[in-house]
Parts: sequence; structure tokens; C-alpha cells
Amino acid sequence: MNEGILIGINTAFSGYNILMVMAGCFAGTIIGMLPGLGPMSAIALMIPITYGFDPASAMILMAGVYYGAIFGGSTSSILINAPGVAGTVSSSFDGYPMSQNGQAGKALAIAAYASFSGGTIAAIFLLIAAPQLAKVSLSFQSADYFALMCVGLLSIAAFASKGQFLKAMIMTALGLALATVGQDALSDITRFAFGNINLMDGISFVLLVMATFAMSEAFMIIFKKMDISFKASDVSKANLGSIKLSKAEVKEMAPVIGRSSVLGFLVGVLPGAGATIASFLAWGFERSIASAKDKLKFGKGSIKGLAAPETANNAACTGSFVPLLTLGIPGSGTTAVMLGALLSFGVQPGPRLYIEQPELFWAVIVSMYIGNVVLLFLNLPLIPYIARILAIPKNILVPLVLFFSVTGVYLISFNAFDIYFMAIVAFLSLVLRVLNYPMPPLILGFILGGMLEKNLRRAILINDGSFSFMWERPISLALFVVMIIIVLLQIYQGIQKNKT
Amino acid sequence: MNINYSRLSALIFLLFFIVYSYLASEIRVFAFDENADFNARTFPTFISYLGIFVSFLTLVLSKNEHEKLGHYEWLKVIVLFVLVFTYGIIIKSIGFFLSTNLFLMVAYYYLGVRSPKVIILSSIPVVAGLQFLLHELLDVYIRDPFLQAIGVIS
Repeated sequence: MNEGILIGINTAFSGYNILMVMAGCFAGTIIGMLPGLGPMSAIALMIPITYGFDPASAMILMAGVYYGAIFGGSTSSILINAPGVAGTVSSSFDGYPMSQNGQAGKALAIAAYASFSGGTIAAIFLLIAAPQLAKVSLSFQSADYFALMCVGLLSIAAFASKGQFLKAMIMTALGLALATVGQDALSDITRFAFGNINLMDGISFVLLVMATFAMSEAFMIIFKKMDISFKASDVSKANLGSIKLSKAEVKEMAPVIGRSSVLGFLVGVLPGAGATIASFLAWGFERSIASAKDKLKFGKGSIKGLAAPETANNAACTGSFVPLLTLGIPGSGTTAVMLGALLSFGVQPGPRLYIEQPELFWAVIVSMYIGNVVLLFLNLPLIPYIARILAIPKNILVPLVLFFSVTGVYLISFNAFDIYFMAIVAFLSLVLRVLNYPMPPLILGFILGGMLEKNLRRAILINDGSFSFMWERPISLALFVVMIIIVLLQIYQGIQKNKT
Repeated sequence: MNINYSRLSALIFLLFFIVYSYLASEIRVFAFDENADFNARTFPTFISYLGIFVSFLTLVLSKNEHEKLGHYEWLKVIVLFVLVFTYGIIIKSIGFFLSTNLFLMVAYYYLGVRSPKVIILSSIPVVAGLQFLLHELLDVYIRDPFLQAIGVIS
């Protein structure tokens, strides 16, 4: 393990990869700041750029983009009360009031220090937890993997659904159905291609992600008449105030950071949960344990109220890499996109990754720490300048996002069919999103579809056509019990919602 | 039961999964695989069961909510959609540089940018910069008849 860590450190600290982290953090911050464009869009836009990179550098870049986007989302939450990312909505509860009180610089500094601390503590947890979980998961068989993937799909559907679990499940089924287009991996039989040569190899993962996130987000900005640029231009001219924190303020933040890091990491590890839930939980938890006097400050510019969600969302981002790197199962929609990217590089994440490709496994973990340092020392002083990106009007931004999305897909295949198909998928995604159909379950279903079929096939063949593996193997049984609990919880919530 | 957009979409999904189920049953498998415990039809069949089940539940359980879709910018999105489609049609024939610049300039203008300076500065340098990055740094070659004709690339 020590040798692996050293290889990882060596890889992550190479000049090229440090440049990747910096570029990723910078690009992620800019994209994450723009309302509507979250980490999934940011990573989707990066995928075509990373073709030709080695997998370690590509993952390092994408990881940098991920936490850069979360940091960028916090910035727009604090400055203009327009969270670029769902995971930073709770940062605006106290960050924006601070900003309005003339403490925007201080609020950004708290966000940066809390994110740095949360990310760092979580990176240490990841360093300890990931190899242990990888060792445990070596005992997993096909049936267990199948059950685990089903838990992942159900969890994402439950958490991403915002009370529309059935719609999220439809999207999961649609994602799985789209994954069956093209050649069957085992028998080479072509399915659902309808004689179209462009569909013989299946639907491109990059195309689907770009269409459902980047391009449909761009359409959505126009569709919903979203425009925040005039506010942003005001902010960029304003004096943000000092970014220095007093000793008393640091003392107030420290225990909050400790608690929220643990909470955020644990929530991040759970499949389907992630930064949004972690940040809301951390804010709510800190408020519930605060003294009566402190409780009154929450929502009006409390330091604790800002530090808690900022710590938790970064810790959750790091935590979500645990199931991705050790089990090959993404813990969130964003890591699902990363899984797709890894698969397209020919890298299969899972328990053997840290044995067979330690440079990739450890370099990603080490680069997370470097990324946190970059965000703190490079991005924080640059925020007044980076914030000017918010002044880009939507009539310039939208064509540029459309252009980068189309180019990204075209550069992979040089096939105009992909552009037409992408435009159709993006338009349909827009309609579905307006009707409250969430997109992350579709992407996860699409990415896991192939692996799910492969593991189900193996499990059934090993069991002579029987489904008895569901209750005969203890791990599978436990996972199926978890699935039943998730479904029952959703039914219970639905009944409660109908009553109110 | 009143029809609303949620129910209508659930009905469309229900029909989609019924058709998908039929197509799954029509997948041709090898003769020796026909009666196998798991063949190329099995997984799509399971997916179709899941899809039919959840879309049917959505159709039945959706509440009668009054959703309004008319106040959105449908026309602008449709025009942008057509622009992307057109971009796809012309990219092969007139090349990446010219088609992308045309796409960006028309899109900026349609969305309300009227300053020629802004339109030009937000398109030509961006496209030229990206093409330079691709050609010179990432070794990605994009065939471009226009740039070849004016002698910029060989």
C-alpha cells in the first residue's frame, strides 16, 4: 500500500498533473459559478478535451473540475444568491446575508477555508477507507455486484427525485433501455439499431451526457428566461471587503468544520446521496445544536451556518469517490459521469483498481488534496476577478455552451449524425426536465446498464437459471433488504405527502 | 381521470416500453441460445417490465396538477434547435471554422446581440483559438476545406 501511495504522490506531483489540477479547479470554478451549469455539465464539457490524455491525468483534471465547480457554486450563492450548484443552495442561507452586510470577502474566505478543511479531512478519510473497502469488496461476486448496482440505481432515483420517485424510476428504466442499443457484449447480436449503422456501436456516453446536461442546460437558460448578468456586473464592481478572519471567528468555525467533515464524508459515501443532502444536513445539524442565542443568527449571516454546508459539501464530494474507486459504483450523478469517462478510457474501477493501477487510484486521491490547496491559495485571491464571469450575458453564454457541446461530441466521431441525435436528445431532455423528470437516474442507468446485464447474466448462469442468489448470498440478501427499505420509505413519503 | 402533462408523459412512456417490450421479444438470437437461461433478449425484457410497471403507476397515481407550459420561450429554443441541426448539416461541407463562426454569429444575433464588435470578438477568436489548440497542442486534425483553400492549413 505504501508503495502505491508513493507512486500516486509521484504521479500527482508531476508538473503536468499539477497543471491539470490547477486547470481543472479554475475551469470548474468558472463553470460552477454560472447559474444552471453544475459540476455534471462542467465535467461533461471536459470529457472530449481529455481524450488523448492518460487516464490518471484525465481523472485528476475531472476531479479538479468537480470541486472547483462546487467552490464556484458557493461564490455565486454568496455574492448574488444564485447558486450555480444544488449543493451550495444552503451556503446562500448565511453567505448571502453576510454579503449584503458588506462582508462578502469574509464570507468567501470562510467558504474557502471551510471547503479546504472539509476536503482535506475527507481526503484523509478516503486515504484510510478506500483500501479497506476495496479489500472487503474483493469477496464480492456477480450477484453481489448486481444487487449493489440495483441499490445505487434505486438510491439515485430516491434522492434525485425531489418527491417524484416514480418519474425518477422511469428515467432509470429509460437509461437502462438506451444502454441496450447496439451490440450485446457477449453474443455480439445487434439490438435496437433498426439497421442504422450509426447505432450499431450503441449510443455514445459523451453524447448522452452532453445532450442531457450541457446542451439542455443551455436551452433551459433561454427557455426559462434566466438572466442574472445585470446583478453580477454590479457585484464585480463592488468592493468585496476584507478576506481576513479574526481569531475568535476561526475558533468558532473549527468545531463546526470537524463535525461537518465527518457528516459530509459519510453522506458522500452513501450511494445516491452527495453534496446537496450533506450540506443541508450539516446546516440543519449545526442549527439544532446551537445555543438559543446562536440559533437566532442562522439565516442572517451566521459564520457557523456558512462553514457547516461549505465543509460538508466538499467532504461529500471526496466521499463520493469511495464507492466509485473501490466498488466501481458511482455515489452520485457527477461520479457516474466520471465512471463513464473512466470506462471510455478502458479503465474499470473496482476493487482491483488499487492493485492493478495504483498510480491512477492514489494519484486521484492525492490530487484532491492538491486541488484543495489550489482552491484556497489560487482561487480565493482571484475571486473578485473570476466573479466578473458572471457578467457574461446569456445571449453570449448560451451559443458558446452549445458550440462547446456540439464540438465535444463531433470531435470524437467526426459524424454529423451525432450532432442531429444530440440536438434531439437535448430537446427531449428539456421537455422532460420541465415535466420534473430528473436526469441523473437516466445517466446512471445508462452507465450501469452494461455492467448490470453482465453481472446478472453471470449470477443467473452460475445459479443454473435460478434467482436464488438474491437470498442465498448474505451480501446480496442484505443489499436487497436495503432496496426494499428504500422502496418502502418512498411509498411512506408518498402517502405522507398525499395526506398533507 | 383528468389528463395533465404528467399523465400524458407517463402514457407516452407506457407506450414506449410496450413497444420496447415487443421489440425485445423480436431480437434474433442464435438457435443454441434460444432456450438458454439468459440470452440477448432477457435483460431488455426485464427493463421493459420495469418501465411498463413504473409508467403505469405514474399514469394512475399522478395528481391533477395544473401545469402551464405556455409561458416559456418555446420559439427561441426551437430556433436554437434548428440552428444546431443546420450546423450539423453544413459542418462537413464548408468546414469547421466557417460553419462554427456562422453558427455562433447567427445565434448571437438571434438572441439579441447587435454590436458587430461583440459578435465578431465572441466568435472568430474563440473558434480560431480552439482550432489552434486542437491542431497544435492536442494533435486533433479537423478537415477544413475553407482553411485549406485560403492556405492556413495544409
